[in-house]
Amino acid sequence: MRAFNYCRPTSYGEAFHWLAGADQLVVPVAGATDLIPRIRDGLLRPDVVLDIKDLPDMRALTPTDGRLTSGEGVPPGLYVGAAVRMNELARSELVSSRWGVLAMAAASMGNEQVRNRATIGGNICTASPAADTAPALYVLEAAVCIKGPDGDRTVAIADFFAGPRKNALHRGELVVGLTIPQPPEGSIGHFEKLSRRKAGDLSIVSVAALAVRTDAGYRWRLALGAVGPTPLRSPESEAILSESLTDEAIDRAAASAYGCCCPISDIRSGLEYRQAMVINLTRHAIHAVMAQMPTP
Amino acid sequence: MTMPFRGPAAVPLVLHVNGEDFHVFVEPRRTLLSVLREELGLTGAKLGCGHGQCGACTVILDGETAYACLTLAIDCEDREIRTIEGLMRGDSLHPVQEALIAHDGYQCGFCTPGQVMSAVSLLEHNPRPTDDEIREGMAGNVCRCGAYPNIIASVAAAAELMAAEGD
Repeated sequence: MRAFNYCRPTSYGEAFHWLAGADQLVVPVAGATDLIPRIRDGLLRPDVVLDIKDLPDMRALTPTDGRLTSGEGVPPGLYVGAAVRMNELARSELVSSRWGVLAMAAASMGNEQVRNRATIGGNICTASPAADTAPALYVLEAAVCIKGPDGDRTVAIADFFAGPRKNALHRGELVVGLTIPQPPEGSIGHFEKLSRRKAGDLSIVSVAALAVRTDAGYRWRLALGAVGPTPLRSPESEAILSESLTDEAIDRAAASAYGCCCPISDIRSGLEYRQAMVINLTRHAIHAVMAQMPTP
Repeated sequence: MTMPFRGPAAVPLVLHVNGEDFHVFVEPRRTLLSVLREELGLTGAKLGCGHGQCGACTVILDGETAYACLTLAIDCEDREIRTIEGLMRGDSLHPVQEALIAHDGYQCGFCTPGQVMSAVSLLEHNPRPTDDEIREGMAGNVCRCGAYPNIIASVAAAAELMAAEGD
């Protein structure tokens, strides 16, 4: 493996000092489960590996009414620091209480050893269309909190994914965490993933569904992973499901999901299989959510 | 005041492995696996795929399993590292090791140290796992001989042994 420098700043001032290095490739890292194979395979040649785990609040996992993002106009929700690991999300009672779809997605990632190291910040910054937490974050309408030398900004998760392995960060910026609004009580989420092996593999297709409780019933959200250059929502399917949940409506919603994706063929699956599985997985996810709805 | 970065040449590190402190002098690019094997002579953890897929390099870091091939040694300062070399109590094998022998939980044995560390960690967190929980907990360890049924049986038997010891 090619040599590099390592630094582990404890203040953002220090981190931005290194990130500003003009003639050096400085790569932020937390769990390193994606970074090390890429360096070893020669796909990435960093001069400096910048370990962000010791920066303030990177490991915070707390309600937003806690100190981190309290303030005017912040709705109740969840704050997840960028260095929070997959198994922490999968096993957190707080996350499961209202954001269960995210816990399910985190639990589906890799395997025990990887989930003990891999972080949510790494999962989204890598910006793989198959990022396991992405469909869950899309239906939860998470916002990405970004810090830069010139200040803070937030970006909607759907705007953060810009293309395969491309994210919305500007040079010198860091993702510090995510804020995730709290779905109303009685909302139901489900995540489903298809891969060649049940563990340690990337998705062929993944689907997250969230039925958001409203006074009149449910407003649906549906997101798909690994079937386009970025994860994506299927607004037509969402509109159909919010209107009706008959078998015919579910068929139309699954067909619309099929219509809005543009998968590729790769080592994990051919294009036709992916498309067919979008329909199946979407249907599964819808039925799984419906199964949890209280009987009228 | 900015902290200088470390490397790319070798830097001094202290690693806590199996309850002992080891002073090593290694480059930041070195993985925990290569330092355990090549600097400390702890060759129980194996290099299989080097990509975090096979589990032969599994060690326990601060009480949780990790792939030593995907972990930088420099990221392990001030952390408790446990390897298979630290499992024996006196002259006695760990119950997981006893159970693997009793139930033929291996053939060639190359993946076994990793399997053992995953099983030890699983049972420390969940002393009475169901078969499904065992499969889930052991899913990050591949056995190319295909000894899976006996590995699952061994972990279940180890749970019984450890429960009996605890009584």
